[in-house]
Order: sequence, then C-alpha cells, then structure tokens
Amino acid sequence: MADYVIETKDLSKIYSKTKVVDSINMHVEKGKIYGLLGKNGAGKTTTMCMLLNLTYPSSGEVFLFGKDPKKYSKEIYPKIGSIIETPGFYENLTAYENLKIIAKLRGEYNPVNINSVLKMVNLDQEKSKKFKDFSLGMKQRLGIAAAIMHSPELLILDEPINGLDPFGIKEIRTLLKRLSHEFGITILISSHILSEIENIADVIGVMDEGILIEEFTRDELFRKLNKHVEFEVSDVDLAVNILKKLDLRDNSDFTFNIDGKICLYSHLEMRDKFNALFVKAGVDVKKVNLCEENLEEFFTRFVSNN
Amino acid sequence: MLTFIKMEFLKLKRSNIFLLSLMGAVLPPLLMFIAVFAFDEGSTFDMLFTNVNMYMSALFAIMLFSIMISYLFGREYNEHTLKTMLTIPISRGKFLASKYVMFLVWILILTVVTSLSALVFGFIAGLEGFTLKLFMDSFAQLLFANILLFLTFSPFVFLSLFITNMVPAMVGGAGLTLVNMLIYGQTWAPYVPWVCPYLIASGEIAEYATSPTVSYGIILVTFLIGLAISYIYFTKTDVAI
Repeated sequence: MADYVIETKDLSKIYSKTKVVDSINMHVEKGKIYGLLGKNGAGKTTTMCMLLNLTYPSSGEVFLFGKDPKKYSKEIYPKIGSIIETPGFYENLTAYENLKIIAKLRGEYNPVNINSVLKMVNLDQEKSKKFKDFSLGMKQRLGIAAAIMHSPELLILDEPINGLDPFGIKEIRTLLKRLSHEFGITILISSHILSEIENIADVIGVMDEGILIEEFTRDELFRKLNKHVEFEVSDVDLAVNILKKLDLRDNSDFTFNIDGKICLYSHLEMRDKFNALFVKAGVDVKKVNLCEENLEEFFTRFVSNN
Repeated sequence: MLTFIKMEFLKLKRSNIFLLSLMGAVLPPLLMFIAVFAFDEGSTFDMLFTNVNMYMSALFAIMLFSIMISYLFGREYNEHTLKTMLTIPISRGKFLASKYVMFLVWILILTVVTSLSALVFGFIAGLEGFTLKLFMDSFAQLLFANILLFLTFSPFVFLSLFITNMVPAMVGGAGLTLVNMLIYGQTWAPYVPWVCPYLIASGEIAEYATSPTVSYGIILVTFLIGLAISYIYFTKTDVAI
C-alpha cells in the first residue's frame, strides 16, 4: 500500500450553496511532487486551505501523514511549510525580521539558519530591506524561504511562481526539485500554468469546477497525449486510395486535404509500411512527421471531455 | 506567552500607528498644558492630573483604543499575515489571547506615557502643589480606569475581526467618544460600559444613585460577551485569504 502524506476522502467545501470543492479524493505519495492543475477558480486554493486548517471542510476527511490533523495538529502542522496565494509578511519589517518572528514562534530561532535560507532563495543581499519595498518576485521568494526554513517534510505551495521572472521560475523549480529529490520532501504545488506543472510534477491532479477529475503520473500523462502522423505527398488521391484499400476510414483513421497533407490517427506503428507503399505506387513522400498533442491541447480536451 | 508578546512588539517596530498612539497619549496632557495658559484651567498639579485623567480615559482613550485594537487585529488580515501565523502553527485561541494581552500591554505603555508627560508639562508650566503621592494616586487612577476600559473593548475585538478595515473602527471610536460626551453627567452614565470606568476610577460614581457593583457588573458582562463572540467567531470561521 502506498505511503500517502496527503489523503482526502470525499472532501467538500460549500460556500452559500455553491460547491467549490466537490468530494475530492486526493492521494499524495511520500517524496513525490504532486502538481495540482486547474483553471483559476477550480478549487485548488480552497483545497489547500482545507489541508492547512485555514478553511473548514463542509464534509469529508483529511489525513496528513496518515493521521487526522484535527486530533494530531500539534504533531502534524510543524512538519508542513506552506504558501497560500500572496505570501503574507509584515510590511514595516525587514525580510530577516519577518523570518525571525516565524522562527521564534516556532521555537526554532537560529540566525545562521535564517541567513542560510535567505541565501538559498537569493535574498541574502536584501535581508535588511523592508518587506513593503520588495518586488512581487522577492516577496514570493521570501514566502518560499519561510516555508522551507524549518526543514518541513511536506510543502504545500499555492501558485508559488506567481510574479517570478523566467530566471526566478527556473531557480525555484530547481530548488523544489532538489528539496524533493535530495531531501525527500513531499511537495504539493498548484498552478494554472501547464508547462510549470509538466516541468516539475511527478504526479498530476487535474481539477475543474471543484472536482478532481483525475490523478496521473507524468508517464501516464504522456501516454494520454494524442499523437498523429502527418504525411506530405505529391498525389494525395492515390495515397488516400492506398489507405482505404487497407481498410482505414476517412475522417476516422485519417484525414486529408488537397494540399497533399494526410493526417493518420490510427495504426501509427505502421507508418513506415504506409510510406513504403506510397513510394512503391509512385507517390513522392515529401515529409513524414510524428506529431504529438501539446499539454495545452490535451488539458482543454481532457477537461471538456470530463 | 512571553515570546508571543515579544514578537508582537517586534511587529510594531517602525510602525506609524504605534508612534501615533504615543503621540495620542501625550495629547491630553499637552492640551491641558495649553489650557493652563489659554483658559486659566487651574494652576495646581492636582487640577492638571484630574483634567488629564478625565479627558484621557473618558474621551480620548475611546478613540485611541479603537484604532489600536483595529490595527492589532486588522493588520493580520490586511497584510495577509494571519494565514502565515496560523500555519506556523499557532492555535487560534492562543493567537487571540496574545493579541488581548498585547492590547493590554500597549494600554499600560500609553498610561505611563500620559502620566509622565502630564508631570513634565506640569513642571514646565510651573504648577504648584506637586507631591509624589499625588502623582502616584493620579497614575493609579488612570491605570485603573484604562484597565477597566480595556475590558469594555472586547466587543471591538469582534468588530475588528468581522470588519478588518480600520475605517469603521475609527468612525465607531469617534461616534462612541461623542456618545460618552453626551452621556457623561447624566443619571444613567453608570450603566454605560465606556463611561463607567472613569466614574469608578475617579470615585465620581459615588455621586450617582447607582451602586458601583452594577457598573462593575456591566463592565464584566461587556467583557465576557465581547470575549465569547470574538472567540467563537475567530475559531469557527474560515480565514479570509
């Protein structure tokens, strides 16, 4: 049986008769990066808030580290680091002072630790700067510093790359991968940016309108992406006739246009044989491309189908 | 709890509101100092201390305390720090209790500032009749009034949790100050929670037909109701993100 760090059973949240989270059953395995993917308003933040006890579930159950957090909150929550939406810090205080408050309240104040975590997120040169003078990206990095400062076993990060520039995104992605792979930290990360989730997550959960449609691994995701083979030929009619003789159906197994392009959707493994048959029949094959549906196309199709 | 209070103090570092509250605590003594010259408002320390205590605890403190309480609680919502604090984790009950204690400590600081500045202004004005006992009695009176007033502010805690913006607190504080001005001296003043702290502390309550026990009871009930509704609301409601 898998060792789940996060498990929910029929977890729901209703706000004035609207079900914003609808009976979700989430499974986050230990040491994995779980990407929660969904549009804005899909219910990702509410789900994370329920995991962190900031929002109370209307029904359903949450298990963290295999235990009920209501009963074992003092044992469970110190093992978690989190960012929910915009990181919240005191505007009149410096980065260092803000982290000092958090560390002191955790009972783990260590100046060396604060300095090292600020260095890890490239804020060591800005530690004396007031939070109100920080850029959005710097605020986000300070949020990450606060979340990882106490070496948590689980990170719950809601849209942590919001406001970061491409370099910042790359740095944070590398840092999160390192935390997961080197230190075995389990990470639940939400985003509406498909490429980000694709880049970082081991397991992906797709949410839409409060429903967790499906959870799949990266490998499963790539197997689910639609593929087709595109031929560009000199005589499209002759080539189509060859395919029809092989019992392939127009508009189902393949499509074509008068410019000489044929898109093959089935029997992809036989593309070499088709190519040989075309050439044998005197059809010049100018191009053969194996095309794959991108993640954006997949997500759109997947959500609309479900 | 000591760490909580220390951290609450750190949160006030470079805070404009804290500086403004200190200035606010100096304002009644300053106004009475001006009044000594402008309106011939007595030439003794006794008169100065009496006036400062009355204007501070019966009027000015209402406005000042409502702003302080709204800042203490409201900023955690407005600066999005409540979610950071609660996920440390800190229990909601402990968080609420630390805020109440910090509010009391802040009031104590302002009480000291008001009393000391009244003393300084009195010496600058060259007032007569200073004795250490007079000063200590005046300080004890203001301290007692402000502590009783602190108890009556628990419903404002609920309001600050419910409406996190500082504007309603400021309007409410100003409104209550006006109400206090209108009620002070009326026969039913001992029944109004925000007027009776000064009446009790100054001993003026003896001039009314109402027993001081009733006023104490009203203050206690106000405190308990405010405490209960703020606790229930804070522990049972989702944190606004």
